[in-house]
Amino acid sequence: MSEFSELIKNYEKVRSYMREFYIYGFKNRSEYNKKSARSYDDERRRIESWLQSHMRFDRTSEGKNVFISIDSRRIEHNPFFRTLKAKSFTDKDITLHFILFDILHSPDIHLSLPEILEQIDIYLSGFSQHMVFDESTVRKKLKEYTELGIITAEKQGKKMLYSRAYDEELSDITDILNFFSETAPCGVIGSFLLDKTEKENDIFSFKHHYITSAIDSDVLAKLFMAIRQKSVITMTNLSRRNDTPITIRVIPLKIFISAQNGRQHLLCYHMEWNSIRSYRIDYLSDIRIENPTPRYDELRNELKRMQENMWGVNAGKTTLSNEETHHIEFTVHVGEDEKHIIRRLEREKRTGKVEKIDENTYRFSAEVYDENELIPWIRTFICRIKDIHFESQETQQRFKDDIKRMCGLYGIEEAE
Amino acid sequence: MIFSELYSAYYNAVAKIIRELINGEKNENRLSEIVSEKAFGESMLTVLPSLKSEKWQLMKSNMTTPIKHSPTMPLTNIEKSWLKAVFMDPRIRLFGDYDNLFPDTEPLFTPDDYVIYDRYSDGDDFTDEGYIERFRTILSAVKSKTPLDIRMLNRKGDEISVTILPERLEYSEKDDKMRLIGIGKGNYDTINLARIISCKESKEKDFSFSKKEESKSRMVTLRITDRRNALERCLLHFAHFEKRAEKIDDMNYMVHIVYDKDDETELVIRILSFGPLVEVTEPQHFRELIIERLKRQAEFNL
Repeated sequence: MSEFSELIKNYEKVRSYMREFYIYGFKNRSEYNKKSARSYDDERRRIESWLQSHMRFDRTSEGKNVFISIDSRRIEHNPFFRTLKAKSFTDKDITLHFILFDILHSPDIHLSLPEILEQIDIYLSGFSQHMVFDESTVRKKLKEYTELGIITAEKQGKKMLYSRAYDEELSDITDILNFFSETAPCGVIGSFLLDKTEKENDIFSFKHHYITSAIDSDVLAKLFMAIRQKSVITMTNLSRRNDTPITIRVIPLKIFISAQNGRQHLLCYHMEWNSIRSYRIDYLSDIRIENPTPRYDELRNELKRMQENMWGVNAGKTTLSNEETHHIEFTVHVGEDEKHIIRRLEREKRTGKVEKIDENTYRFSAEVYDENELIPWIRTFICRIKDIHFESQETQQRFKDDIKRMCGLYGIEEAE
Repeated sequence: MIFSELYSAYYNAVAKIIRELINGEKNENRLSEIVSEKAFGESMLTVLPSLKSEKWQLMKSNMTTPIKHSPTMPLTNIEKSWLKAVFMDPRIRLFGDYDNLFPDTEPLFTPDDYVIYDRYSDGDDFTDEGYIERFRTILSAVKSKTPLDIRMLNRKGDEISVTILPERLEYSEKDDKMRLIGIGKGNYDTINLARIISCKESKEKDFSFSKKEESKSRMVTLRITDRRNALERCLLHFAHFEKRAEKIDDMNYMVHIVYDKDDETELVIRILSFGPLVEVTEPQHFRELIIERLKRQAEFNL
């Protein structure tokens, strides 16, 4: 039986557990039946070790529940960033890393592979049973570091000379890192940079701050890279509705991020269906970037045009050449001292228009691909909705029935 | 790519331990402290034992290290490209004027590559020169904990003056607004930066700041009926609060959410947005807030 380690090789293994612990948090051990009980115990123990004080436990008749509870307004840094700092490595990896950067401690030092090997032996000679690094291991590590941009390799005659890349001074951008690590996509990279400064954030706090997207940072970074390269990708999608992962080939166009539920979607062109589709990024994995496509700019412009009729992330189910929009409108009552309601309509609408009908009545109307996406927002005006009109009779009826059901829940009788 | 040992807590802890060893530190307790501070709950069982046993050949048995220089690592390509992307964000001007950082690096993303589609449209104007100047004054005062004299517009639009001891700046992603949180007189412990007309360091030396009354936390309990994916939608929507969820049966769940009483009205309308699939079960005063709105709605006989 292998020894437990709090480090892991493959982050994908813990992504779904963390989501379950943080978003749901009511499941007990027996309900995590997709994997073995041993796997559950190990992953729970790791997550507990990484997140320590944020873990909570609840004992119910069905067993012990483990969950993560965080008031994101009271934290200075996203705790999920810590989970991305738990990659495993070998004894040789860590030893070689520190020795290599000590040998190449200044960008002015340029050494060949044999010279580096010779120096490594000197560093290790003081240990009783010292490690031995062969040429291929060190060459491989130097190649890896060169690709990452931290080592530069330059040919001089027949020899390849290695040196460290130039260091950048980060101390005067600590405020920037503290702010953008929490507010920009892939903010965990800002957290890596903050680790170098060793300075704490006691300046900023964040409201309406959704922190789970941090665990999707690797996937998101790859999607951005593909977008920048205007490339086709193949990706794996495993939604909650499916037990089997599906491989999809798409052209990624834009990332849609919600400030009201923290979800991130990839909007992309699905070649087979000839339509713009959205996929939740927390369901995606294994992004493989292929070649650039000449259709990229055309498709991105198409999405830009379609955004005029999108309320959320749904660009309609129809093909590009056959799209369909739906008209939606509703009117609200605005009292004498309720001008803030007009401001709410204006600032919260994402498309469509607001019109004054009379002193106390305002109308919102829009043409959208998916009228269902507006319903939660419209319900926030409950207490003042005078009239509503959906193109679909079914949606119209469901909206009205839902209000009746709400009244029923709270024991209110509607006026006849 | 992002998940790499180069950024790991263990590498960071070991770098700091080596720094201490170079400086002659031989106290093992101090090294343990570094592990606790830099790494995880169980790291103590691995990091120091691996160094002491020479599994990782970076520390000798006499607590010295063959490493001669304080460990540092240059920026990786992805770190540079993320910084490059951040420097293209319009909010960067709040922090200073930065031009042409990493000219040879491509940004990881540009502002056109993503959209926050449900953010409110009346956010602060982060490109306004006056706003930038005031932000920088406030940021400096937050750092030095210096009181500020502020001229601002109150909710009624009247110009008023307040003095506040700044504590921190709070940014709301949904509102796209900055607020100054501090200790002030009366109701002015939280000030939207967009309402500030001018601000400067206060000359008043004897100003005694009233201890801010801690905002009271409250709890609301919701019953969720898991139709139309309501459970997941609701738990995601309220994920940023401290909360606890429990399963009643296969269709019904209870969620207890801790919220700040100042945000109660916002929470009422957020709960309403879930329609009949989310019911407030307690406290009664919160139920009444929902009932009052539903009664007014019922009068419209939709």
